[in-house]
Amino acid sequence: MNFKKYFVKSSVAVAVVAAATFSAGAALAECASDALPGEMAKPDGYPARALTMVVPYGPAGGSGQVAQAMAKAVSDLTGVSINRDHKPGGSGTVGMTAYMATPADGYTVLEHIDDAASAHALDSGRPNPSEALIPLVTSQITFSQIYIRTDEDRYTDWASFVDWVKAQDGKATIANVSKEGSMERVTMKFITDATGMQIQQISFDKGAPRYGALAGGQVDALFEQPGDVRKFLDAGKFKPILTILKEAPEAFADVPSLTDAGLDFEPLLRFRGFYVKAGTPDDRVAWLQWAFQKAFCEDSYQQYNESKFMNLIDSFRDTDGSKELITSTIAQYRDVYKQMGLEIK
Amino acid sequence: METFNNFLGGTAALFGDPMGVLIFFGGVIGGMLFGAIPGVSMLTLAAILLPFTAHLSAEHGIMLFSVIYCTGVYGGAITAILFNIPGAPENAPTAFDGYPMTLQGKAGKAVGAAVMCSAIGGVVSCIIMMIATAPIADWAISAFGPPEIFALVFFGLAVAASVGAKTFWKGWLSIMIGLMIAVVGLDPVGGIERYNFDMPYLAAGIHFIPTILGFFAVSEIFVQAEKKATGSYTAPKLSVDFPTFKELWAHKIAVVRSIIIGFFCGILPGIGATLAAFMGYNEAARWSKDRMEFGKGKLEGVISSETANNAATGAAMIPLLALGLPGGALTAMMVGVFQMHDMEPGPLVFINSPDLVWVVFAAMFFANVSILLVGFLEAKTIVNLLRIPFQFLAPMILLLATVGAYAVRGLTIDVVVMFVAGVAGFFLRRSGYSVAGIVLGLILGKIGEQTFAQAMQMLHFEFTGFFNRPIALGLLIAGALTILGSIYGAFFKKQPVPASDN
Repeated sequence: MNFKKYFVKSSVAVAVVAAATFSAGAALAECASDALPGEMAKPDGYPARALTMVVPYGPAGGSGQVAQAMAKAVSDLTGVSINRDHKPGGSGTVGMTAYMATPADGYTVLEHIDDAASAHALDSGRPNPSEALIPLVTSQITFSQIYIRTDEDRYTDWASFVDWVKAQDGKATIANVSKEGSMERVTMKFITDATGMQIQQISFDKGAPRYGALAGGQVDALFEQPGDVRKFLDAGKFKPILTILKEAPEAFADVPSLTDAGLDFEPLLRFRGFYVKAGTPDDRVAWLQWAFQKAFCEDSYQQYNESKFMNLIDSFRDTDGSKELITSTIAQYRDVYKQMGLEIK
Repeated sequence: METFNNFLGGTAALFGDPMGVLIFFGGVIGGMLFGAIPGVSMLTLAAILLPFTAHLSAEHGIMLFSVIYCTGVYGGAITAILFNIPGAPENAPTAFDGYPMTLQGKAGKAVGAAVMCSAIGGVVSCIIMMIATAPIADWAISAFGPPEIFALVFFGLAVAASVGAKTFWKGWLSIMIGLMIAVVGLDPVGGIERYNFDMPYLAAGIHFIPTILGFFAVSEIFVQAEKKATGSYTAPKLSVDFPTFKELWAHKIAVVRSIIIGFFCGILPGIGATLAAFMGYNEAARWSKDRMEFGKGKLEGVISSETANNAATGAAMIPLLALGLPGGALTAMMVGVFQMHDMEPGPLVFINSPDLVWVVFAAMFFANVSILLVGFLEAKTIVNLLRIPFQFLAPMILLLATVGAYAVRGLTIDVVVMFVAGVAGFFLRRSGYSVAGIVLGLILGKIGEQTFAQAMQMLHFEFTGFFNRPIALGLLIAGALTILGSIYGAFFKKQPVPASDN
């Protein structure tokens, strides 16, 4: 099924497709890693066999899908197979622990998300993804939004939502993943501090019950990233009322950003990337960096990122860019955790 | 009429396309085989096939997965009945009575009932799915929030405590052991580590699949090995006598009840066929005049469990297709198939791809029908596995169970958990505890704790909030009455005859 044909019947989607197409054109014209050479000689015959990619989440979620898309793109580009080894559990801890026990020979790579950075920020005993690991590429960076049902009549936009929540005296609810120290909980603290509203966060660790809770009217709002609820946006079931970025991206130009809403805090981003263990021979790291960064610009990967709204802000960071992103994220979380009174180990 | 026309259109598209026919039968046989091989399951097959679906059309890819879903749920019943190894968690209650039937030389009847009832449950739920997907999906998510799902779990546990244990108290203790195992790992709301003794792998919690393999398969091998060592082992008698129509007709009420329960559990996002099978079995035991016979080889036990878990398959497609909300692991993988073809399951699928929806509906319908045809042929063959002497069969089962336990998450600790559960199960069963109760406590405990915490957050930490939600209140009252009834029975009635050690 053709991607554009799929969305063409929805009026909301038409605008989305237009925005996506525009970005895609831009992406194809000047994709981040275009400057890299199209081929790179294998250092001393490495890799001589298939690579293994440890994925600390299940195959069906966002991490599982990006791992699959990237593995395919790297394999198409290099001809080297990549086997995915899903080790879900413990909010990514299990996969990370299993990965840290593998040899640093370049044959095992890791997919991980920003949770690895926030976990290290809270407990320095956990591996620092910019030191214990070498980031090969960050291939998805996205932002969060607050959603309500489109047919909601108690409030229709951010301003009326804030007024309504305040009138409920702490009884209003929002579905998110409110685990201790999570990006969602920290961001919600920023928002409630800045607006003075009190809202009860309901923690759903799986996507389906979380989206079902808003669709079924069990909660009043939802905190999520746009790519994950795209089907509800395209179907006209949910609508965003706040974009948690300083400036709204073009595809959501009519949704207030933090600046528009008068909220002054530094937004936290959700990012996913690929890593190899520190200590891996330099020539192998260089080859992996080339393969994963170049694969980001493969058509199949770009198409996947577009379908997940991962093209609305710059989703690419090379090794140095990733290290910078991770380091600043860790520092940001540490600050917030201290303010929240959490015990930092 | 329009539904019927759409169904005919879907059927024509399915069987008018040679590639479609090939994939359909590949899915039917693959699902049954993977469901029936101990230690692996339809999920293993689905995970292997997932990347290859990118090379199929969207219709074929999604149709393949839905067919595997229907036949895999049935396939898991075979090993549950023949070897006490549920192919998947949803087949666990089938083993409660199916395996004792095998030991009594009635394997053919149990397998035959599983074939018939899986097909009936699946076909009926497919028909309801075709008629009313959208309204049912909308109703399910508005009527059932975390408080209602918690109340359902409470009710399920209350009923389950009376199944399989020697006494009421041992039944409850079994459930409590399961609930205690369920709290190992991260707490489902705050993400705080509990009872993992600083072991990162335990932070992921104890998974129910290795636990089921341990409690059922491994402990059964120990039980049989002990019998072999003490000279009391008798090989299960081989039988291919399928149940007569009259025998099945006698359980028509159990079938209807299980269809309703199975369908209802199937439509709840995140619940799925496992709860359906347990609830179907428990309710059959609860309403039966021969309640104490359950767990000892009662045909009705197999019928109610297998009808319910297949009735959940069509139902689970409802929130998936209408809302994009998967109910379990296999439906979550189906979302992956959709996405590989740049599609998202949800309301737009009905608008943009009605052809695809009706090919899938037709394929599921015929997959359930083919359980009858292919299932009987397969059953006649696979029952012969019982001819393999125990000393050869036991190591094979242990090997496959080990592979199955490891394959869930690729963690060695799951293999350790399986063997620990196997040893524990061996002693617990001898002491009259119910391993089924433990497994149910583990599965429902995880869902129950999470939904209770969510419900408390939603109700602002006031338990009285449940009283304002009629469905939740009704289920809580029913659960409480069940508990009171069993306490009354335990104190004032004659103690039940010890049930089977299953």
